[in-house]
Amino acid sequence: MIRLLLLRLAGAAPVLLLVSMVSFGLMRLIPGDPSAAIAGLSATPAMVAQIRAQLGLDQPLLQQALHWYGGLLHGDLGRSILLGQSVFWATMERLPVTAALSLYALVVTLVVGIGTGVLAALRQNTWVDQAAMMVAMLGISVPNFFLGLLFIIWFAVGLGWLPTGGYIAFTDDPWGWFRTSTMPAVSLALLNIGLLARVTRSTMLEVLRQDYVRTARAKGLPRHLVIGKHALANAMIPITTVVGIIVSLLVSGSVVTETLFSIPGIGQLLTSAVLGRDYPMVQGGLLLVTALLVLINLGVDMLYAVLDPRVRLGG
Amino acid sequence: MRAAVLAAFGVLAAGPLAAEPFKCPKVGGSFVFGQEANVNSLDQMTSNTISTRNIAMNVFEALTTRDENNNPILDLADSLAEAPDGMTYTFTLRPGIKFHNGKPLTSADVAASWDRYSKVGLDRQMFDAVAGWDAPDPMTFVVRMKQAQPTFLEKLSSFSIPVVIVPAEARDDPPQQLRTVGTGPWQLVQSVPGSFVTLKRYDGYTPNTHFEGRTGFGGYKQACFDQVTFRIVTEGGARVAGLETGELHAVEDVPTKSLDRLRANKDVKLLPLPNWWIQIALGNASMAPTDDIRVRQAIQAALDMDEIMDAATDGNYKLNYGFAYPNQPDYVTTGKDTYNQKDPAKAKRLLAEAGYRGQPLVLLTNKDYTSMYNAALVVQEQLKAVGINTELKVVDWPTSVQMSLKADSGWNVFFSGWGTQPALGALATMAFLAPPGAQYQPKDGKDDPDVLAAWRGMNNLPTKEERRAAFGRMQQALLEKAYVFPFGSLTKVQAARANVEGWVPFRIPRMSNVWFAN
Amino acid sequence: MPCLTRGCALAGSAAGAVRAVGPGRAALRRLFRHRLFVTGLVLFLAVLALAALAPWITTADPTKLGIRTKFRPPSAEFVFGTDNLGRSLWSRTVWGARLSVEIGVAVVALNAVFGTLVGALAGYFRGLDGPLMRVNDALMAFPAILLAIGITAVLGPSTENLILALAVVYIPRTARIVRASVLVLREMEYVQAAVAAGAGHWRILRTHVIPNAMAPLIVQLSFLFAYAVLTEATLSFIGLGAVPPTPTWGNIMAEGRAYMREAPWIITIPGVLLMVTVMGLNLLGDGLRDVLDPRLRLQP
Repeated sequence: MIRLLLLRLAGAAPVLLLVSMVSFGLMRLIPGDPSAAIAGLSATPAMVAQIRAQLGLDQPLLQQALHWYGGLLHGDLGRSILLGQSVFWATMERLPVTAALSLYALVVTLVVGIGTGVLAALRQNTWVDQAAMMVAMLGISVPNFFLGLLFIIWFAVGLGWLPTGGYIAFTDDPWGWFRTSTMPAVSLALLNIGLLARVTRSTMLEVLRQDYVRTARAKGLPRHLVIGKHALANAMIPITTVVGIIVSLLVSGSVVTETLFSIPGIGQLLTSAVLGRDYPMVQGGLLLVTALLVLINLGVDMLYAVLDPRVRLGG
Repeated sequence: MRAAVLAAFGVLAAGPLAAEPFKCPKVGGSFVFGQEANVNSLDQMTSNTISTRNIAMNVFEALTTRDENNNPILDLADSLAEAPDGMTYTFTLRPGIKFHNGKPLTSADVAASWDRYSKVGLDRQMFDAVAGWDAPDPMTFVVRMKQAQPTFLEKLSSFSIPVVIVPAEARDDPPQQLRTVGTGPWQLVQSVPGSFVTLKRYDGYTPNTHFEGRTGFGGYKQACFDQVTFRIVTEGGARVAGLETGELHAVEDVPTKSLDRLRANKDVKLLPLPNWWIQIALGNASMAPTDDIRVRQAIQAALDMDEIMDAATDGNYKLNYGFAYPNQPDYVTTGKDTYNQKDPAKAKRLLAEAGYRGQPLVLLTNKDYTSMYNAALVVQEQLKAVGINTELKVVDWPTSVQMSLKADSGWNVFFSGWGTQPALGALATMAFLAPPGAQYQPKDGKDDPDVLAAWRGMNNLPTKEERRAAFGRMQQALLEKAYVFPFGSLTKVQAARANVEGWVPFRIPRMSNVWFAN
Repeated sequence: MPCLTRGCALAGSAAGAVRAVGPGRAALRRLFRHRLFVTGLVLFLAVLALAALAPWITTADPTKLGIRTKFRPPSAEFVFGTDNLGRSLWSRTVWGARLSVEIGVAVVALNAVFGTLVGALAGYFRGLDGPLMRVNDALMAFPAILLAIGITAVLGPSTENLILALAVVYIPRTARIVRASVLVLREMEYVQAAVAAGAGHWRILRTHVIPNAMAPLIVQLSFLFAYAVLTEATLSFIGLGAVPPTPTWGNIMAEGRAYMREAPWIITIPGVLLMVTVMGLNLLGDGLRDVLDPRLRLQP
């Protein structure tokens, strides 16, 4: 187990190095620079020139690269130009927001997705199955920003049930958090509900056909026990894999959802950093987020190994 | 101008204490303001964005500022004496002022703040004529000039990037990282970029008793609310919805399309801010085909300003020519004939004279500011109609600014909006079109002699009237040579819940002397 | 859904899948008996028809402003209504369909060529596998949309660059699927026999390996089409896609967003069309998967 972990970690190192190179290269090649964002709408050309010099943007590229990697070696991701805050802390401050939102979306996804999938499998080829799969198909076909817009029109503007945007931290006010997070979380979740319901259904169908499940049923074990203990437990293995995918999708989805609902998470941080040409913030933030995703996927792999001994042996 | 400034300062310095200063009719409550743009840093010395000013101008104060009508006034200074030769300015500080950290304000803090500003302050050019400053005693601050500069106090009192006064230990805070400790009626509680900023009443605040009430950014200020939250709500529709449900007590930038509905809502009052900015475009005089004055004049002749402004603002605008608004003291009427000609025949004639043969003419605009984008779309149609082969280049705002600063980066007309500068006055506005780096990109980097001469006059002529006349000449030259195309003035609308009292619409929302009626 | 992370390659790398192409005609017959596939096909063909016929079924220029026809709701005169600048939304959405289809086709074509190339090389030549897959992993490690944003920002906003960015984002995912098939095929007896008979590597790849890796690739590409259309719309919506005033569904929705209360049709019409397109492609992909590649049903 530990050997597997170390192997995977060693495999991740070159990936992260490449990620850091891509992150650095991408931002430096972009036309425009952060001086415009600092200078505001109406700065005179002289002011913009002053800001550029101050930011060290007139240094050669190689020198900037050396500076970036030198910092990385000391665990220093640099300092955001626009926020005046260290990139690490700026990211860490936003992380709980995205994490809480993703977790909310993940819980909704798991409950509804697995529930729908199991129900469809148990009622295969009935109208329940067909309706469930229709919903799942809809889920993977609606763009989440469109769904978000429809939610805002219906529930915020039309009915006035939920705020149109903004964010309240759970620690400040749990009810406020629930109110501000529900529309974004559900619009994030729908795609993943679709994915998970479809996978759960087909895995369950497969498992239900297996001999041991039929045997257990023949032995007269109660139906819910057979489903709960045997079928679902075995179906969990491929489902775990899908959950790994879902975590990545949630992070991707949060880019748009956070912008749409004005939620101060990682997605919004990075999008506004790209738009404002905040080089260190984008470079460091992208590296940090990607590293985190690599680690999460590694964790999922390990979990997979725990659930399925075959993977462990083969690892 | 000097006489006027001195008179204003003189009266204030010698003036008696106000008889009956403002008192909050009701104290308490938590006020929530819906702000349009994200705020990155609250460093008022190194940021020129409205979103920073919205918040920071409630926290920080400077020696001088502007009143409700944009005249210079004293704020942290109790009095100001200008030497007859204009070579020294002596400020005495108001007594009893304490920073939010409890430390009393002394002239050492003022000197340290000026030190920081001279290193990193965005508008530090204003110190070009300053030789140095001293703090001879704790309450006295002396500025020494290299040469007399009649417009020094006008520049110093500007609210765009003011020399705010911070504790001496903030002298070496790096750019964008100024600690948020000021002397204002509001102190920072928490700032979460991208989400909200919360301020609370500073109980140790010492109001300026030379005034009876708030005026501009100065005057007698009192914090009536316990707490103020600036919530970042970038979506216009979301701000309106928040105001309607009462989640937000006031908002800025109400979309024009929502106005009718809000007008019918008894719980909401609309507070329009006319002349929010001049919708404008600049020609590139170094780049063919707009290097030919006749092509630029043809553009000018072809434009129909009502169509442009209507699309830019969804209909909430005023036609306005030139670079100042009619209610301003600087306002001049020169160059009026060039505006809103709607004369396609003339445009075609000028193009023929110039020998224009369908060379591409690039309109540079951005998609971040809808009004600029929409204006460019309409201008494109109007120019096509007279036979100009226009190309639209749409980039994001930072890129368009970057491109506009270079004459050879492939643009002919650059779309922008001038807000803060026209509000500050002609001197600030015309800086865009003066060396170094005049934005109309004069040919071969040599400023147009007529424009340049007028600009020098605006800066150096001794009397206010002469300087205003120079502004008139500058406006005339810029318009008649079609270097710049001002389209009109855009109206922005603020709105507040009906129970919000004391709110007077202003470019930058002021949270002092505002309270909840029951 | 396309294969989005390394996890799904794990789930879908089964050996049997690869040879299940079956004789073409039988597969085709089964496809056309697959009800969902046919539904998907019809929806997709409808969108293709809109795209292909755009110049003939629209009369108004999609960028033509209408000073006097702003904010018209759908009516006989303006089938889909007009937007804030009085432009015909029928023209704009139909031309938008054309652009979406163009982008989808281009991204799919680039993926078919380069994804196959990279995947086949990595799967077949052990020496290339390590380096190619490390680069692949690095590109796949980025959240897809952030990488696309970064690339379009660097290249500058244009439709071509958007296609390039989407291709770069999705090629590693396609390559991984092809590689998984090739890894299995390489060990197959008939391939080994060809090696023993002294056939050149290119010949083996061309005649034995790549054709047999087609089934999972085709399935992947149909989902990829959907994803390209969706990502383009998303990027345009947040202002990082095709340059306005180019009519794309994402751009129309971005511009209509400010008026969603007073003129909801501006965002709903392109939104629904986008949804229908993506759903058509997903149904199509499902059908293809069921028929060509039954083992892949386990995939999300």
